[in-house]
Amino acid sequence: METDKNAVAERVSRLMETVPKDRGQLLPALWRVFEEYQRIGPEMIEAVSNAMNIPYAEVFGVASFYALFDNAAGHRPIYVCTDVLCALKGSEDLLAVGEDAAQGAAVALKESPCLGHCDGAPAMFDGHRTVRNATRASLMAMIRGESHA
Amino acid sequence: MPETRRLLPALHTRSEPVSRERLTERGFDRAMERMLSMQPEDIIAEVKASGIKGRGGAAFPTGIKWAGVHAAAGGTRYVVMNADESELGTFKDRVLLEQDPLGALVGVLIAAHAVRARKAYCYIRGEYREVEQRLAAALTILAECGWVGPDAVDVEIRRGAGAYIAGEETALLNSIEGKRAEPRVKPPFPTNHGLWGAPTLIQNVETMANVAVLFAHDVQWFKECGTPETPGTKLIGLSGYVRHPGVYEVPFGYPMTNIIHDEDLGGGLSGSERLRAILLGGAAGTFMAPEEVEASLLDYGSLSRYGASIGSGALMVFDDTVDLTWVLKKLARFFADESCGQCVPCRIGTRRILELLDQEGLKTRAEDLRELALAMRDASICGLGQTAPVALLSILDRPERQGA
Repeated sequence: METDKNAVAERVSRLMETVPKDRGQLLPALWRVFEEYQRIGPEMIEAVSNAMNIPYAEVFGVASFYALFDNAAGHRPIYVCTDVLCALKGSEDLLAVGEDAAQGAAVALKESPCLGHCDGAPAMFDGHRTVRNATRASLMAMIRGESHA
Repeated sequence: MPETRRLLPALHTRSEPVSRERLTERGFDRAMERMLSMQPEDIIAEVKASGIKGRGGAAFPTGIKWAGVHAAAGGTRYVVMNADESELGTFKDRVLLEQDPLGALVGVLIAAHAVRARKAYCYIRGEYREVEQRLAAALTILAECGWVGPDAVDVEIRRGAGAYIAGEETALLNSIEGKRAEPRVKPPFPTNHGLWGAPTLIQNVETMANVAVLFAHDVQWFKECGTPETPGTKLIGLSGYVRHPGVYEVPFGYPMTNIIHDEDLGGGLSGSERLRAILLGGAAGTFMAPEEVEASLLDYGSLSRYGASIGSGALMVFDDTVDLTWVLKKLARFFADESCGQCVPCRIGTRRILELLDQEGLKTRAEDLRELALAMRDASICGLGQTAPVALLSILDRPERQGA
């Protein structure tokens, strides 16, 4: 565990090398960590805290504020919008189907508030890419990690 | 009527959205040259004369805001473009940045020169990764022109990380400062006391794009569209039960019903083809009945007769199969999830509204809901808590609309 912690600290401090050490860069710094690990656990918060010289509690407070950083298992996230317009187009059923399929796959299927694609409802997002007019087939492809769902 | 495309590029535009040719074809290079030859006071006078109002929802006169930042004391100033578009039903900034990212950024540069800022931020929601890439590519073009960079205006893209509240202007400033995106108590306003306490101009993407097209033309051209009270055009994000959902640009003063029905715009109702209501302005918007839609124009004065406002430009269309009580519950859940929890009226109020609606309180506890809504409106720190019950109140005020 100690080795893991040291490895994380080392990797995070390398990630922070080109980040200016000021408080205003905390959010970009957290993004770098998240892009690397797909999660922001206590050991990463401690490493960021040390690298940026910002108290642990402050880093934790910021990291835990944002929904996109809430991904404890570090699995690839898939967000299905279940807000009004997407729900009217069947996204809640889509989510239910996806939940069965996602079991065993290393993905974290999540409900999302409005993704800003109401003209292409239902919408889903894998952290990098948005799929509009989502279908069972495109959701399954996203769960399987196919790049052109 | 076809769209009046000004902020959105004309359909026959040939150049790529991110290219030097686009700067020329849209007149943005001309806008930059014209602006760079002007004094800040003259730039602000032109923005004032154009009558542009903020397009993020509050419709505050843009020129007056700029004059406020210009006049504020302090050497360092900042400009911020708010692209944290997370209001439910709202997607017009995304489409605008996809189709013409250089326009909004030219608006940022004009704003920076007007208020003498050397640093600007573009804060974009973390779910718009494809748009963020396009913005970054557009910044590279502007840097090649010598308009962006350490010797001109330094523009930094800042990616949000999934927080609706970060779109509130003071919460957004806290987010840029590396703090939790919790709103600040106003006053002081960002114009005097914004990023790191310095005067800060913060505007919505669409407002910046308006400024760019203004300087690519002139005040007279700008005012040829719209109404005397509100010149120009508005981007409307049309969704729900219409044949052609999408973003449409229409002049202020245009009949609301035509936005839904014109062949070149919404193309008419879909679903049952019988309108139950629209929800105008986003999650914190107002439900309007069919006859109210029929009698309204797209302008603040006309809509205010029904307690409605354009808000973010979201126009959600519901046919008569949609249970508005279900929609209200969805909105209540949205606000309960997105409340930052900083102040009690909002933290507890959004949760209580959700509970009451889940217990069918719309019929049995209507007065309690109204009292709670008014307490939230009066006592919340920011716009989220103040406006979270607006849609609910608009249904309580129209009891005949509650049934499915």
